[in-house]
Amino acid sequence: MFPSRFDYSAPDSLDEALATLGQRADETKVLAGGQSLIPLLKLRFAAPATLVDINRIPGLDVLEESNGHLRIGTLARHNQLAADSLVGRRYPTIASAAPQIADPLVRNLGTIGGSLAHGDPAGDWGSVMLALNAEVVVRGPTGERRIPIDDFLVDIFTTSLNEDEIVTEVLVPQPEGSFGGAYLKLERKVGDFATVGVAVHLELDGDTIARAGLGLTAVGSRNIKPTNAENALGGNKCSDELFAEAARLAAEAADPVSDVRGPATYKRAVVEAYVKRGLAEARDQARARAGRT
Amino acid sequence: MGHRSYVGQSPPRREDPGLVAGAHRYVADIVVPGCLDAVFVRSFEAHGLLNAVDLAAAQSMEGIVGAYSAGELPDLPVTPAPPRAEVPPEMSWPALARDRVRFAGQPIAVVLAADRYTAEDGAELVFADIDPLEAVIDPGPAASDEVMLFEPRSNVVSVREFGAPVDDVMDSAPVVVETIIRNERLCPTSIETRGIVVVPDGDDITVHVSHQAPQRLRQSLARSFGIEAELVRVIVPHVGGAFGAKSQTYPEYIVIAHLARKLGRPVRWIEDRREAFAGATHGRGQTQRLRLAADREGNLLALEALVDADIGAYPHTGEFIAANTGWMLSGPYTIPHLHVRVRAVVTNTTPTAAYRGAGRPEAAYALERALDRLAHRLGADPAELRLRNFIDRNEFPYRSPTGAVYDSGDHAAALRLALERAGYDDARAEQRRRRTTGDGNPLGIGIGSYIERSGGQEGSTEFGSVTIEPDGTVVARSGATPQGQGHATAFAQVVASALEVELDRVSVIQGDTDEVPVGVGTFGSRSMQVGGSSLHHAAHDALEEARLRASAHLEVAEADLRYDDGRFTVVGTDRSVTLGQLATERALSAQAEFGPPQAFPFGTYVAVVELDRDTGDISLEKLVAVDDCGIVINPKLVEGQSVGSIIQGIGQALYEQVVFDEYGQPLMSSLMDYSLPTVAELPELVLDQTVTPNPNVPLGNKGAGEAGCIGTPPAIVNAIVDALGGRDEGIDLPVTPEKVWLVLSRSD
Ligand SMILES: Cc1cc2nc3c(=O)[nH]c(=O)nc-3n(C[C@H](O)[C@H](O)[C@H](O)COP(=O)(O)OP(=O)(O)OC[C@H]3O[C@@H](n4cnc5c(N)ncnc54)[C@H](O)[C@@H]3O)c2cc1C
Repeated sequence: MFPSRFDYSAPDSLDEALATLGQRADETKVLAGGQSLIPLLKLRFAAPATLVDINRIPGLDVLEESNGHLRIGTLARHNQLAADSLVGRRYPTIASAAPQIADPLVRNLGTIGGSLAHGDPAGDWGSVMLALNAEVVVRGPTGERRIPIDDFLVDIFTTSLNEDEIVTEVLVPQPEGSFGGAYLKLERKVGDFATVGVAVHLELDGDTIARAGLGLTAVGSRNIKPTNAENALGGNKCSDELFAEAARLAAEAADPVSDVRGPATYKRAVVEAYVKRGLAEARDQARARAGRT
Repeated sequence: MGHRSYVGQSPPRREDPGLVAGAHRYVADIVVPGCLDAVFVRSFEAHGLLNAVDLAAAQSMEGIVGAYSAGELPDLPVTPAPPRAEVPPEMSWPALARDRVRFAGQPIAVVLAADRYTAEDGAELVFADIDPLEAVIDPGPAASDEVMLFEPRSNVVSVREFGAPVDDVMDSAPVVVETIIRNERLCPTSIETRGIVVVPDGDDITVHVSHQAPQRLRQSLARSFGIEAELVRVIVPHVGGAFGAKSQTYPEYIVIAHLARKLGRPVRWIEDRREAFAGATHGRGQTQRLRLAADREGNLLALEALVDADIGAYPHTGEFIAANTGWMLSGPYTIPHLHVRVRAVVTNTTPTAAYRGAGRPEAAYALERALDRLAHRLGADPAELRLRNFIDRNEFPYRSPTGAVYDSGDHAAALRLALERAGYDDARAEQRRRRTTGDGNPLGIGIGSYIERSGGQEGSTEFGSVTIEPDGTVVARSGATPQGQGHATAFAQVVASALEVELDRVSVIQGDTDEVPVGVGTFGSRSMQVGGSSLHHAAHDALEEARLRASAHLEVAEADLRYDDGRFTVVGTDRSVTLGQLATERALSAQAEFGPPQAFPFGTYVAVVELDRDTGDISLEKLVAVDDCGIVINPKLVEGQSVGSIIQGIGQALYEQVVFDEYGQPLMSSLMDYSLPTVAELPELVLDQTVTPNPNVPLGNKGAGEAGCIGTPPAIVNAIVDALGGRDEGIDLPVTPEKVWLVLSRSD
């Protein structure tokens, strides 16, 4: 499990990185945390001619609110997001998901941008960002694009990122009103990829759902946004019946396959159970927040 | 007389400072100038005709020193058969596949280069032309010989029987429960994978290897290459886990030693994790059909067990491990009639060998599951059912119906203590409350009682020697070679206690055949029971020799000597002589090769689980382990063994399974696929003990290395089935949430 030969460059500016990438984009890979790419190299499933290490580029790990968004730099590590107090106060879905990703070693290195760019349907961030309606900011030779996450994620290990582009940050809309969120993950054991993951985000106006966001992990060829379920929730008053209906619709949107982590019917059942639980938890958080203000 | 004894104490582990500081050296850390790195090319087919191996591209690649298949190495020895296993010569395991491949992962060729990067580049260029044949994965179908691995020979390698058929008892018994159990294959998964460095020097070879039995490996390599054992030196550096899977002579070792000798250059092979899954031996792998008969009060009448052991593509240690299962199947119970038939069957999968427990977990799991089925059928409390059938403490030594002689025991006491520590009555009350009110998640309580066997093969010995140096220090040598257990600490305790000297004066040497040419090894929970006893005897003999010399030296009768802390003093005087002084003119040393009978440690485990009604998720709330391994020499080390072994038992119960698809492709190739539990999966653990001394060894101890993985799986699975109200259809190992969910959703 030793990789094939490759060239390595570690530029300290984004322009330089883009230039190196542009030379032979089809044979070059960006290296962020390396927690997905290095295993692929070691298994020789990937053999790029060049790696462009972006870890020395300053500014790619911003984490701040501005212009109605939370800006998350592409190099924000999973652990940084798990420990950040702003995230902890205002972005419960993110705060809940981050410590459930992998193990502490992987979390210290793995990045949000790398995770999204990898396009693994079993990745947790994709679902969280779908629930939060995030956008992915990318830079290429011709400038910058902002891609809604639902358009960014295309298929298994496939995104709408071009080979000569680099993800720079992720923009998460700031929550409004009283809000709550959660990430529920069924894993075989601590540190494992999800058997099923469910991201939930709710914004309440009184007891009416102003916005509902959902995302499903590991139950399709990409992270799934169950829009029927979201639409069923939006504009309606919270109730157990409504949540059950949304859970049913979300389970319908799931398209899992049977594998070593369990049969498809089971995974669908877990989606249903977790959407129901996640919504109840998000509602309780939102009510508690409303009570505090 | 100030008798100094370290038995029962837990001095700091001598192994730990090096571990904590990262200073220990493992095989992969050994730097030998000019050493070549070997990479194996392995079969991607589970079964096929190997037409040709094209090495040309690899051989001509820059940096590749050599590329070989069996064709290039006509005098490459086969993998030697392990001791005790029945291996028909026509089924012997070639070190590199010849003409036929029989499992995915089997070595076909080997590529050498100055570093592993280059060697892997070369290995990528090797092309094996294989015509696939139908593969047979399951031992049941394999036994029917529709697909044969070694035509015209049957796939059934051996059949062993214990007792005589019990059909008449079954036919007339008031209650008979029947169950089919799959004891899944597991991967031993030591953190350090296998590794070997062979350094030739003329006709001599020095072998650095991560191994459990260096003396045995030495003999087996010498035999394979037709050379004197004196020419082979085996050195075992620090070992990062072995669990039974490093006690063999593997095909890779033969290839590496052969090439080192052939080229006259040092060659090493460090296994990677993917190879460790496909190419190293697996453990367990049995299909068992049990019938258990009882009267209406729950007194056991008869047990029948038909066991098919899937031993993989080539008969190896797995062949006789299946026999251990048969040997232990009557467990700690009085069962008047027993019939066990064990078939060892080859399949197109990785060969099996020892894995912690080696046959006993398979036996205990089957029997304890069957007992719980019986309790459910009778409406009896599973604890009561066990108490009713345990061998009585006054019946030891007890000859089991399979012929094992259990040395000593008090099974009821261990069970009662386990129930008490688990809060059994309260848990049952809470379970009743939940069942009647319908609130809360399903709760289950499960019991696993076991008896195991420690010491290795009946009558097997271990070498131990004790040498007193002129400076008064003591050197103990043992053939029991550690893999992280803490032998250097515990053996020093035994020797220092026997000699009544300070612990720090004793050092322990193991794992180098130049230092310890004779020995058996560390496996089968035998090191302290057999190796420790030998050291105890050697130390006593050395002390007796010293006493003789002291009496001559001081010119008094032995009776007039007082011995204290390494010094003989003439009673009533200040005339004295030390052990060191007595060793100055003539070496003062003694050795022993003691071979006590096997011992039979036992105990009871109790698990408490809660199930998630909606997802089937299993929460292991509590695990109580009561073990009886006789007198404990070092409680801390025994605790370490318990915890480690329990985690592996939890792994078998809930997480681990080697899966092959129908074509024999392993679906487990990394720790991402193979779900290995870690400390995060540990529940609240309660460890306790009863102490029934072993009457057959001087210190009264029994083996303590394996109990956890024997007692844990049945306790956990019985708890899950208990939470499911006795419904166990589909609750197979490992019990994963979806299996539980399927049962729960069927009932709703
Ligand atoms: C043991 C283990 C367990 C794991 N468990 C989980 C889990 O439970 N949940 C989960 O979500 N993930 C899990 N992961 C994956 C982990 O989260 C990775 O960190 C993540 O998938 C990739 O992030 P990275 O920064 O390491 O990316 P890298 O490995 O460096 O790169 C991944 C891919 O993204 C590309 N890339 C990276 N950054 C950029 C960029 N800025 N612009 C363009 N392309 C880019 C790379 O070229 C590569 O193709 C696990 C990984 C391991 C090793």
